Amino acid sequence: MLVVTGCGNAAETKNETQTNGGTASAPAGADKTTLTIANSTDIESFDTHNNNNTMSEAVLVNVFDYLLKNDDEQNKVPVLATSWEQVNDTTWRLKLREGVKFHNGDPFTAADVKFSLERVAKDTTLKQNTYYKHIKEVNVIDDYTVDIITETPDPIMLNRLSRMGAGILPSKYIEENGMEAFLKAPVGTGPYKFSKWTKDDRIELVKNADYFGGTPKWENVVFRSIPEASTRVSELLTGGVDIAAGVPATDIARIDGVDGLSVEQAKIQRVLHIIMRMTEGSITADPKVREAIDLAIDNQVIIDSIAGGAGIPTRTSVTPGNFGSDPSLYDTFEYDQERARALLKEAGYENGAKVSFSASVQYKEVAEVVAAMLTDVGFEVNLEILEASSFSEKLNSKKFNELFLLGVGNSLFDASNNYNRFKKENAAGETDYNNPEVEELLQSALQNMNLADREKQYQKVQQQFTVDRPTIYLYQMKGIYGVGAGISYTPRLDEMYYAEDITLK
Amino acid sequence: MGKYLIKSLLQMVPVLFLISAIVFVLVHVTGDPVNLMLPETATAEDRAVLSEALGLDRPLYVQFGLFLFNAIQGDFGHSFHYGQSALPLVLERLPASFQLAGAGMLIATLIAIPLGIISALKRNTYLDLFISGLSALGKGMPNFWTGIMLILLFSVILGIFPVSGKGGPEHLVLPAITLGAGIAAQMTRLIRASMLEILNQEYIRTARSKGLLETIVIFKHALRNGLIPVVTIMGLQFTSLIGGTLVTETVFSWPGLGQLLVSAVNTHDMSIVQAAVFVIAIIVLVVNLLTDIVYRYLDPRIKYS
Repeated sequence: MLVVTGCGNAAETKNETQTNGGTASAPAGADKTTLTIANSTDIESFDTHNNNNTMSEAVLVNVFDYLLKNDDEQNKVPVLATSWEQVNDTTWRLKLREGVKFHNGDPFTAADVKFSLERVAKDTTLKQNTYYKHIKEVNVIDDYTVDIITETPDPIMLNRLSRMGAGILPSKYIEENGMEAFLKAPVGTGPYKFSKWTKDDRIELVKNADYFGGTPKWENVVFRSIPEASTRVSELLTGGVDIAAGVPATDIARIDGVDGLSVEQAKIQRVLHIIMRMTEGSITADPKVREAIDLAIDNQVIIDSIAGGAGIPTRTSVTPGNFGSDPSLYDTFEYDQERARALLKEAGYENGAKVSFSASVQYKEVAEVVAAMLTDVGFEVNLEILEASSFSEKLNSKKFNELFLLGVGNSLFDASNNYNRFKKENAAGETDYNNPEVEELLQSALQNMNLADREKQYQKVQQQFTVDRPTIYLYQMKGIYGVGAGISYTPRLDEMYYAEDITLK
Repeated sequence: MGKYLIKSLLQMVPVLFLISAIVFVLVHVTGDPVNLMLPETATAEDRAVLSEALGLDRPLYVQFGLFLFNAIQGDFGHSFHYGQSALPLVLERLPASFQLAGAGMLIATLIAIPLGIISALKRNTYLDLFISGLSALGKGMPNFWTGIMLILLFSVILGIFPVSGKGGPEHLVLPAITLGAGIAAQMTRLIRASMLEILNQEYIRTARSKGLLETIVIFKHALRNGLIPVVTIMGLQFTSLIGGTLVTETVFSWPGLGQLLVSAVNTHDMSIVQAAVFVIAIIVLVVNLLTDIVYRYLDPRIKYS
């Protein structure tokens, strides 16, 4: 899936210690009760089934709960479900937590699970539908037990249940008032209740005193959307926000220089790919040309010069923390300009090899450096930088030529998500990658309930990808966050802001 | 005057129709929202299903007909992005846009009228030169840069005003100055030129020779006429501010119509684009009409037919 680049929202607080901080940062005393976080974009809506970007989910996790969620190390931990077991290949049975109430007072029961999961599974207009459409039905066994039935065996059901499209909505409230009314006054079961949303400005949440997990830490949590990065940083410097996401590498020193403020970096679930067309007749159909491209690029130089060091080179997109990763391909890259030149010669492109290379404006600088590196070894690069929406349009209609640059995320934490586009059916017309052996491994792994075996299948695919090179990887990205004085915040791999995990020092 | 009003209002109908038609066609031929709504792992079948569910598989003229039929009743369709009716989402942004545009105009007027008058009265002196230089500078500074500099100085260093967002009146000051500075520069030059011309006219000389106080000559006789072209410019500027303050809105994270419109264009949120353009068109038409009326009030020689 393509994840829209996001950054933070800054939040303005009503807290007295925080207004108008003229000095570097407002003191965080014991009376500090509002947490303010700044992202670069606003959420799409409070419909957790109809959102498609990480920034939205990062906010919504505070209002809506999943049946289970990932802890810091991607272990599944209970939330609204207290336990789960696999009854047979296509049935998962979950026990639900009793005594949980939605923010409007309705009790949470199996009916809400059935309503929520069947909605996202059946309504094809919802943006999360593709991740859930193979759920056949949800059977209510009793008020606190459900069976989730899938069309085919699904080894990653638990991963699906612990991410955005699986937020649990209040069935009674929505059935009585309709979706539009719900979106204006959303209720969930989470630690914070909806209070106010001024679109493109701020979302205000207040604590849910009845939260089943205990009294929440903050009285108020505010998410602000501040598109301009330097404004976000200025808000952080003046104490207007406690956490600013998406800090530009060039502003790190500006924050670090201020007493009490800190910069936190964290790996995120996004890897930059250069995807190559292997269609007959295209220059990148030749494996030597693809290898030359791989060898021409110095990944570390790109990380250092463009990302301010915030990245880790990789030869796979299934990075540690995801099911199926192969650590031998992580934190490493191949670089050999001489060999790249020789390969181009061997392939018969002594007098320049013309390739087109497309990227969205978001990765403009990376694309320019890559193009320069390719030119160095003898390519003639036709670089095309597109606005975000025209890029998506061309991407989805498969109109790119030899090369294009893509940042790919993985909210499923499973290797299957990394290879969707390389399955034969999806690759047709785009990469035209077709390796029957890989195809069989991928298809089998989709339904393989033997996890140890399944992991090996994905590791084999990764090794084969370093030979076939339908894509090459640049680096795993890191998120850069500015953190205000007195705030203790460890950014997560999944980029979620669980306000409950963000504390005063 | 009454006849003129009715005629003007009636003339708006075909204009709005044309604008809607042009926007509708442009939005529909520039891209398929389905491509942007679905994750890229979606299959061709997913696309077809969603297209049908949204009515995007029908011929364009059928879609336009349905759009018009609903639009007349105030229904511009559902926003794909927000999952809510489009028109209320647009209207909800209007107060913020009016506030910012109004404050920007106010600041521009407060700066430009005195500077323009002084500049005209003291023409070709160092003061005039200084003001001309200032307005050249004001015109030349990009909003983006002005905004960032104001934030650095007044928020980060001095701590007087909040950095960004929408809240109390204090939140309005820096973005309004950012917007107002550029317009003030333009208006100052215009007022200077217009005042110069008028100060040379027969009736001003007559007024002066009658021994009227200079302040009365300037403010009662000259200024009123000098402001006529300024009113036109103010009208034009105000309308361009309503939908076109994107840079300032972005720098100060101000939730106005500009941000909404641009993000809707980026996500191909067609109903929002249509509703927003429609609302902006109405504002432009109404402000133009008001400008005409003020013009007439200031210069009774102008006749409407």
